Amino acid sequence: MRPETVLELAHVSASKGDRVRVEDLSLTVQRGEAVALVGSNASGKSLALKLGAGLEIPALGTVRVLGVDPAQASADEVLRLRQRLGFVFDKHALISNMTVFNNVALPLRYHLTPPEEEVQDRVMARLAECGVEDFRDQFPVDLTLGDARLAAIARARVMDPDILFIDELLIGLDADDLGRVRGLVEGPWREQGLTVVITLNAPTTLFRFFDRLVLLRDGRLVAALPPAEAARVKDPMVPDFFAS
Amino acid sequence: MIAWAGRKTVEGVAYIADVLYLTYLAFKELVSPAQRGRGAAFRVITRQVLFTGVDALPVVGAIALLVGLIIILQAGTTLPKVGAGALLANIIVLTVVRELGPLLTAFIVVWRSGTAICTELGNMRVGQEIAALEAMGISLIRFIVTPRLVGAIVATICLTIYFDLVAIVGGFLLAKVHLTIPTAVYLDEIGKSLSIADILITVIKSGLFGLTIAMICCHHGLSVVAAATEVPQQTTKAMLNTVTVCLVLDLVVSASFFL
Repeated sequence: MRPETVLELAHVSASKGDRVRVEDLSLTVQRGEAVALVGSNASGKSLALKLGAGLEIPALGTVRVLGVDPAQASADEVLRLRQRLGFVFDKHALISNMTVFNNVALPLRYHLTPPEEEVQDRVMARLAECGVEDFRDQFPVDLTLGDARLAAIARARVMDPDILFIDELLIGLDADDLGRVRGLVEGPWREQGLTVVITLNAPTTLFRFFDRLVLLRDGRLVAALPPAEAARVKDPMVPDFFAS
Repeated sequence: MIAWAGRKTVEGVAYIADVLYLTYLAFKELVSPAQRGRGAAFRVITRQVLFTGVDALPVVGAIALLVGLIIILQAGTTLPKVGAGALLANIIVLTVVRELGPLLTAFIVVWRSGTAICTELGNMRVGQEIAALEAMGISLIRFIVTPRLVGAIVATICLTIYFDLVAIVGGFLLAKVHLTIPTAVYLDEIGKSLSIADILITVIKSGLFGLTIAMICCHHGLSVVAAATEVPQQTTKAMLNTVTVCLVLDLVVSASFFL
């Protein structure tokens, strides 16, 4: 089957604040690929992720996500695009006065208004997939950071998006949570052909479950290659980043 | 000095324009035919009315009772001494229904719900909840602003009517310990003094105050960029600006009806 490009950044430049920037970044992601943007803090990977998801608009260059350029799209096109993308922020960003169940149900109820039985089924399926179904009636403040982030992943998945973006996947996850994430990457996400784009700011055993690592330093692309080849890249960031 | 005044004027005009634009978007959303998110927004409206209106009944009732008691005691004991005892009902309608009812209720709503709206939205911004809503394609106007606008207007109007009733009736019943006016005569006089314009004024003012509280507090809450320290700063600004605008609106409405 011919690969289908679902995300394309072409010579994209943008900045946020004084320190964070992306410079002349070009990257394509195919449908079903699992890609990790890897770099130290302030390397521009989170900004690149938000540019890819259309949450930030580049100063230069173009972004096409699912065939849509968010900078040129109409409000309706952006709205339709948002329903096809799932985004998990580095904070869990769950609505604090809603239970976990209602948080995950929110996009469904807002966009589709299906019968409550269907909401129940779809929400519980996503909560179970992420291993947080026991917390359905709890409020975000009662959860550990790891469980809250897994609930946020469930919320990002409930609309069955084409692409799932996760910023700083490792934040708040303990060994058990990491095991659950590994299960997700290896299992249902891979089986369902979900395109996954995440950012990582530290080496992790999860590297090997991704198709490509995109190494970023000071907002610039260092290399984009399979995990097994990453340690051989000749760049100052590599010994530091892969030392462990 | 001139530069400072010029800068402040430009900032003031920009601020008013921002709040008015937010108000325009919120009302546009109300009349929008789109069905998406109506159910979710309705749940937020219900919550807002419960918090701003129902939960505030005890505090509004207590303040109304005390204010009513003070006014009726003062007027009821002073006016007969100058031969103006017959004006008691007029004075009460004038002070409570036209002015103090809407204003004091608005102040209670500002202190209670305005601060809550501003800090809630500011903290939502800090916790990336607002960004998450935008990322999910959920309209901030439909899901956040319009429900608070509707909730605040409905609750403020209802609370003001409740304030007026408690102040006039409750205040009199308590004051009866000192006053000799029969209850039936008092209520009859109040009924005669109360015109349609008085009721219209109390509803118009309280509606405008509810609108002002919701829009200014939403504006300041959503103006928080990222830091938690901005939340109390924006809340303080919201309180001061809301009270100022409410007083100006009060003057404008009173002047337009009675000048």
